[in-house]
Amino acid sequence: MWREVSAESQARQRPGTERCERGAGDIVAPPGHWRLAWQAAGGSLPYSLLIDRRAFVAALILLLALLTASLAYLAMGSSPLPPQAVPAALVGRGDMMAVFLVQELRLPRLAAACLTGAAFGVAGCLMQTLARNRLATPGIIGIDNGATAFAVASVIGLGVSLAPPAMALAGATTAAALTFGLAAGGGVRGYRFIVAGIGVGAVFGAITQLLLAKVHIDTANAAYPWTVGSLNARPAGAVMLLAVGLSLGLGAALWLTRALSLMRFSDAVASGLGLRVARRRWQVLAVSVLLTGLAVAVAGPVGLIGLIGPEIARSLSSPRGVPVVASALAGALVMVLADLAGRILLSPIEIPVGIVTAVVGGPWLLWILLRPASRNLA
Amino acid sequence: MDAITRSGAASARRLTLRLAGLMLLLVMACLASLMLGAGDVGPVRALAVLAGQGDAEARFVLGSLRLPRTLIGLVVGLSLGVAGALLQAVTRNPLAEPGLLGVSAGAAFAVALALLLGATATTLRVGVAQLGAMVGCLCVLGVARFSGAGNDPVRLVLAGAALTGLLLSLTSLLLLFDQRAADEIRFWIVGSLAGRRLEHLVAILPSLLLAGGLVIAVARPLAALALGERVASGLGHRPGLIRLLVIVVVALLVGAATATAGPIAFIGLVVPFAARALAGPDIRRTLWFCLPLGPLMVITADIVSRLLVAPSEMPLGVITALCGAPVLVAVVRARRMPSL
Repeated sequence: MWREVSAESQARQRPGTERCERGAGDIVAPPGHWRLAWQAAGGSLPYSLLIDRRAFVAALILLLALLTASLAYLAMGSSPLPPQAVPAALVGRGDMMAVFLVQELRLPRLAAACLTGAAFGVAGCLMQTLARNRLATPGIIGIDNGATAFAVASVIGLGVSLAPPAMALAGATTAAALTFGLAAGGGVRGYRFIVAGIGVGAVFGAITQLLLAKVHIDTANAAYPWTVGSLNARPAGAVMLLAVGLSLGLGAALWLTRALSLMRFSDAVASGLGLRVARRRWQVLAVSVLLTGLAVAVAGPVGLIGLIGPEIARSLSSPRGVPVVASALAGALVMVLADLAGRILLSPIEIPVGIVTAVVGGPWLLWILLRPASRNLA
Repeated sequence: MDAITRSGAASARRLTLRLAGLMLLLVMACLASLMLGAGDVGPVRALAVLAGQGDAEARFVLGSLRLPRTLIGLVVGLSLGVAGALLQAVTRNPLAEPGLLGVSAGAAFAVALALLLGATATTLRVGVAQLGAMVGCLCVLGVARFSGAGNDPVRLVLAGAALTGLLLSLTSLLLLFDQRAADEIRFWIVGSLAGRRLEHLVAILPSLLLAGGLVIAVARPLAALALGERVASGLGHRPGLIRLLVIVVVALLVGAATATAGPIAFIGLVVPFAARALAGPDIRRTLWFCLPLGPLMVITADIVSRLLVAPSEMPLGVITALCGAPVLVAVVRARRMPSL
């Protein structure tokens, strides 16, 4: 697609009439990109991959930060370990106590934090791009609350271990359908869509309260931390399901990346550039709802991750593409840090991670909303 | 000229009739609130008590449990409805609702803070809640005005929702610090009329009387302000002073209601919405209609919350959210955002 054209040939040829050359050698990457090219055995055409340099560096930085935070997560807690003991304990060497702490207690929780954070981050990034509004994250437009209400219903009513994720997915789908259906008159653009989502979220929040009011006080107390978002009581089946769902969803999101960056233009421009806008929109929405529902089934509504994660990713990586991978990494990073803070700040008591993110993310949300500069995503 | 006065008189008569009908409904709701409940004191035994007879148990249930509850519902509904109408008039925004804009959340946060610092007295709690409501109100309105978001109703609501979320999570954080405060506040923070005693009502009455006086003083200038700032100052009013007074009144009312019943959202949205539909846009008439409508909604919601999951109780906010959120969506969905 990009070819190096010598000045001479540029002068000779009118734009648009270049010969199409397929050689691997004479193609250089556009500024700010790396191009990886390789010749498939027996194939006539070379494969090539274009990597955005800044996005790559951003993802690398976020990955390093995530690894550091994970190390800290495994080492810190009510009984702290020296950081150098953590890698040994991970492979099962060293003090028995340390091995137990790291492998049995902290590692599963860390995995859950990473998975939910990444899922919320990607879901937020997709929904923001879909609505062309950085405030339109699943948490704000009520999808989290829908998933929570349905999952609470299943916890109270059924008590089957695989039921909460399925019910959370159903709830997320219902809430998304309601929000988009109600906003259909005004389109997904603009703030009205979001306020309709706030209304839908309020209804589902009320339904959650109603369900909790109907059951015994002990059951309600047990469900409470989960309704504000916590990694403390995570069902193992839901985590496995989230891992599967996240790998599928992340793959789908990467496959949609190109469509996503076109969707940032207006519908007319995007379809003029060859995008099937309506179909892609459905796909993006489906992936976002899937990830949100599965993540809520694990950790409850920690929706502000979907706002903060993509925000960090976007400020680090280049404005050219939609930062899906960086959003996932940043979401996981924020989730791990928030849960770490919740575990160690008031040490005997544990602050639910949803409260930590709300206290940190709330001012950020206000600032995004109220600052005078351009507020649009694109 | 004659025709105009005649039609004006006719419409005034119609409005009076509507108002009288609402008052009748309110009286019926109050009676129902006295007669219905989760316990086994049914309507028949309750009627006997109302007629001056009845056994001791029924008398106790009516006099000490249901009557305070009904009276407090009356006052809370009155305060929240009027506060909503005033806030909407002063921001010229049909979505401005004390619960949505973070005013109630500010009051709740202040009360939690005071409890954490060791306060227990009822009167202190009212004052603190009013202070918190004032701060919340000034916060969201000031910031919105400063950044120019005040002209956009929907953005103001978003800012309020963000502020509410922040304050609520800060409140939960405070409650984690202190188990005693958490136990004391848990039944209050969800918003309910259950278990409130008459002392709570007595404690908020002075500030409600003050707020009522201020409302009477400010209603006429506020109606002028609806015509625009220039017209209002041309008519000899001072817009800045009116705004400040209205904010004080809203803080007094919402603080008192929140201190008594906990944070309850959506009443201040639904009641003025219905009142405008019945009485038209003039704030002086809207306020009259808010007087019966607010208590009507709160008392009906309270009856439902008692009966729906009997014998346990349900937070009042659940019912109001279930009624209020559709209204919110309907207002937002309207093709042209109605401006006040």
